[in-house]
Amino acid sequence: MVKYYPLIPVLAIYLVMFLIGFYIEGMWQMVALLAFYCALGQSWNIFMGMTGYVDFGYVTFIALGTYGMALGISYTHQYEWLGIGIIFIGLILALFLASLSALLESFIALRLRGAYFAIACIGINEGLKHFIEGARIWGGSDGIIFYGALIQAFGRETSNHLTAFWADFAVFIIAALAAILNIYYMRSKIGYALTAVREDEDAAKVMGINTTKYKTIAFLTSGLLGAAVGAFAWGVKLAHVYPGDVFVIHYTIECIVVVLLGGAGTLLGPVVGGLVYGLSKYWLAVVLPGFQLLVFAPIIIIIIVVFPEGIIGFVKQKTKSTPLARYII
Amino acid sequence: MALLKLENITKTFGGLMALNDVSLEIEHGELIAIVGPNGAGKTTLFNIISGVYRPDKGKIIFEERDITRMPAYKRAPLGFGRTFQIPRPFNSATVRENVAVGAMFGSLAGKVSVDDSLEIADRYIELVGLEAHKDKEAGSLTPVEKKMMEMARALAMKPKLLLMDEAMAGMHPKDIDEMVRFLKKIKEKENIAVVSMVEHVMRAVVGLAERVMVMHQGSKLVDAKTEEALTEPRVIEVYLGRPPDESK
Repeated sequence: MVKYYPLIPVLAIYLVMFLIGFYIEGMWQMVALLAFYCALGQSWNIFMGMTGYVDFGYVTFIALGTYGMALGISYTHQYEWLGIGIIFIGLILALFLASLSALLESFIALRLRGAYFAIACIGINEGLKHFIEGARIWGGSDGIIFYGALIQAFGRETSNHLTAFWADFAVFIIAALAAILNIYYMRSKIGYALTAVREDEDAAKVMGINTTKYKTIAFLTSGLLGAAVGAFAWGVKLAHVYPGDVFVIHYTIECIVVVLLGGAGTLLGPVVGGLVYGLSKYWLAVVLPGFQLLVFAPIIIIIIVVFPEGIIGFVKQKTKSTPLARYII
Repeated sequence: MALLKLENITKTFGGLMALNDVSLEIEHGELIAIVGPNGAGKTTLFNIISGVYRPDKGKIIFEERDITRMPAYKRAPLGFGRTFQIPRPFNSATVRENVAVGAMFGSLAGKVSVDDSLEIADRYIELVGLEAHKDKEAGSLTPVEKKMMEMARALAMKPKLLLMDEAMAGMHPKDIDEMVRFLKKIKEKENIAVVSMVEHVMRAVVGLAERVMVMHQGSKLVDAKTEEALTEPRVIEVYLGRPPDESK
């Protein structure tokens, strides 16, 4: 069990966040935003942190997750006997679309390395967006608005509850799940294989590691978690989806910043990164409306320069060979 | 039954013939050195054996199994271990984790758990004398320590065939003697065939190898017992050139 001690601080942080949001009036929205960043950072970290591949198309998964939920709800809401089941149908569709795209991407893009991989992922993301808009599938550029469908299925009050609370609650669950998967991978053969891939892919192959297999496992896991986040944080919560809103590289960049701030390849890193990023973004938007990005950029640059291994990478070095070390990875 | 059999291997890179019709047989537990000046095709041969490249022509048979087209990662579990000319440790992982990767994905793949692998790693780390550095990041080791770590990592794969790429280049003569002793001991204990590639550290060749294959410009020049091979006029010619009176 000692192997899983590092989960304690992560889950404790999530619990405290949840309690703050739940019991303190007016805090829920902010806490939900932070949970969103933590969950995405954690999910993205499983692939990028462990393999060192930078997936610039990560938002594709979040977007497809949103679409899966939108399609699930808007196609099945008239069947009353399904009840809350339509959310699960939406989730399953979300995961299905994301795994399709993950397998397609891993088939094409995982054969590439470095910048080529990043560019291929951007290409797939943009391609999908224009395909949906151009071919007019799934509502084309008009998107899918399914708040009406929600109300029809659950009534106004339950729908409000769903979008205002349960959607965010699900994000918390996904964040915790991502953390558990993260450490499980780190501690198993998969983690060793991925570390080898990150450090020297060719040497890894000669050592008997089926690099494609392990990269695909990480890519798929990371993509499915991203899709689940999208399904709830954007799908159920907003109850609409437009291609121009979801296939936006901006969100991928946010994931990268969150992970790098906290420390790539660490367990606690994406959580701390998500908190630091989310809080400063939120706070700056309040105190310096209009100027937030101008101030935000140099802050991020300074953090990255001072802590090149991320905040947790730095803390890890400082706590080496202290009793704290076994809680921090 | 030969452990590894190379049959008429040819490999070209564009117009360059890196290997020209090279055949070689290696028995279980044999110590063989592949010797040749820079550009002789030694590294290409190693890469062909370990599966990094595929030969244009020829066959590779490992324990009577044709593995010519088998990718590198599938060969390792059959019993291949390899060290590199310039060590290639997984820098951010600790020495222990590095060696454990060998145990996990080598010929014991699927038979050992992560914890078992770490235990096996400890054993080999002790064997190569790196206990004190066990929990250090591999990237922080000295070059010689990195070589020893790679050796432990390759041995933890429990190979039947260990390919050592210039393992002793740049080492102090005293270290080389120690390494040679170490390899002989390991070979006795675990019946590993060791193929070591050597450019010019003759001390290692003489001390270690029972058999020497000399390569020159992609072809096999000589394949004989160590003493015979090293006194062979053609070998001396490759390394030192012809004596002046003959070249007139």
